[in-house]
Amino acid sequence: MPKIRDSVQPRLARGVRLETDSATGKSVLLFPEGIVELNETAHGILTRCDGRTVSEIVQALAEEYDADLAALGSDVRETLGDLQQRRLIELT
Amino acid sequence: MNAPRPYALLAEITYRCPLHCPYCSNPIAVESAVLSGRRTARSPAAPNALRTAHAAANNAELTTDEWKRVIREAAALGVLQIGFSGGEPLARRDLADLVRAAREANLYTNLITSGIGLDDERVQLLRDAGLDSVQLSFQSDQSDLSDQIAGARAHQRKLDVAAKIRAAGIPLSLNFVIHRRNIDRLPQMIELAETVEAQRVELANAQFYGWAFLNRAALLPTREQVVRAREVASAAKARLAGKIDIFYVLPDYYETRPKPCLNGWGQRYLTVNPIGDVLPCPTASSAIADLTFENVRARALDWIWRESESFNRFRGTEWMPEPCQSCPQREIDFGGCRCQAALLTGNAANTDPVCEFSPNRGRVDAVLGEINSSSDYAREWTYRVNPKTREISKML
Repeated sequence: MPKIRDSVQPRLARGVRLETDSATGKSVLLFPEGIVELNETAHGILTRCDGRTVSEIVQALAEEYDADLAALGSDVRETLGDLQQRRLIELT
Repeated sequence: MNAPRPYALLAEITYRCPLHCPYCSNPIAVESAVLSGRRTARSPAAPNALRTAHAAANNAELTTDEWKRVIREAAALGVLQIGFSGGEPLARRDLADLVRAAREANLYTNLITSGIGLDDERVQLLRDAGLDSVQLSFQSDQSDLSDQIAGARAHQRKLDVAAKIRAAGIPLSLNFVIHRRNIDRLPQMIELAETVEAQRVELANAQFYGWAFLNRAALLPTREQVVRAREVASAAKARLAGKIDIFYVLPDYYETRPKPCLNGWGQRYLTVNPIGDVLPCPTASSAIADLTFENVRARALDWIWRESESFNRFRGTEWMPEPCQSCPQREIDFGGCRCQAALLTGNAANTDPVCEFSPNRGRVDAVLGEINSSSDYAREWTYRVNPKTREISKML
């Protein structure tokens, strides 16, 4: 998997919607013929995909959860890489 | 029995359609009964006609308000996705209203369409209503062959419609139903998906229910064709990775283990047909003779999903016969498809005869043997008959 640069801006791919599943209260991604339930990290990232760069998202999450920047950064990149491979997000 | 929550509703809002595809999964006998208000003599190959009391008593399509209520009830039940299908859903003028109602209920909205009837104005209306995605059917990549399969001049219009959908910025999937007469054109069909910039393409071999069951001898590809098609599909999948998602579905007669149909009966999906009957599977009404379906005009969707006999009959694993009952795969393939068991063995509770452990596997092998030993390549098929020809010709 190619390394995800700090300066890219992740956003939901076209046709993908972020919703709350009212049956479970959890975040889900909806797309044609598919539903993915998000874990806390993915939810944290995707609710901040509003034009912010990867490093800005990591920074914001680190502040909110008082977490180690390096460890969080690698979690975020792994999650983004996974979502990108499934074509649920785009990196621009 | 404890019912799980459903994830997706297939809203078959009409059985009217301008195409006549011989593999349509709609029931063979229901249309005329539902839409003209009388039952007609059923085709000899049709396993049974529609049996609900509602069909005879109240055979009209659900109204806009009735569909809106169904949509709200489905969302309350946990449904997250809705597919508007048919028939041709564009045959209903209130489609955009229904899409809007589904978006208001936070559902993800898919339109599953032939594209016929989708002009600039309706694309605009649907986009403004919040339509999330369009699955556009194609019969093949060439006009002549496609129109021959559809029994209507449709291919060129579909190309125009694909362009309109893309121009409107709505994500586009192409759906091809694959069968003996078009399976050799798989490479060209994939090229067509690239040309129209689809995000996703389904190349699904015809599954043998409804009209496809009736026309099976003309539709089932040969083993040689299936092997070649699988190679083409997997090569294309690798080549287009990251660009177009390709889903290839084998004709399951050639498998040795059954498909995990619906991910289990009454587990994730429900279908509401044009007159409001609620089906665990869209083909159940025509395939399974001894099942009675509830109607949204008489019952709340929640009750039907949780309590009805039709949804509970094959829910879970208790109903399973051997060899399923003691099979380690039983919660992986759920015994396969109930409709297929009914159509091929006469009993919906049997193991899907596709399974190599089914005592009825010989029935599938007999069909395959017949297809693969015959040189009669292009057999005739019966086109799907349209319920309301006058309305359809107006639409065309």
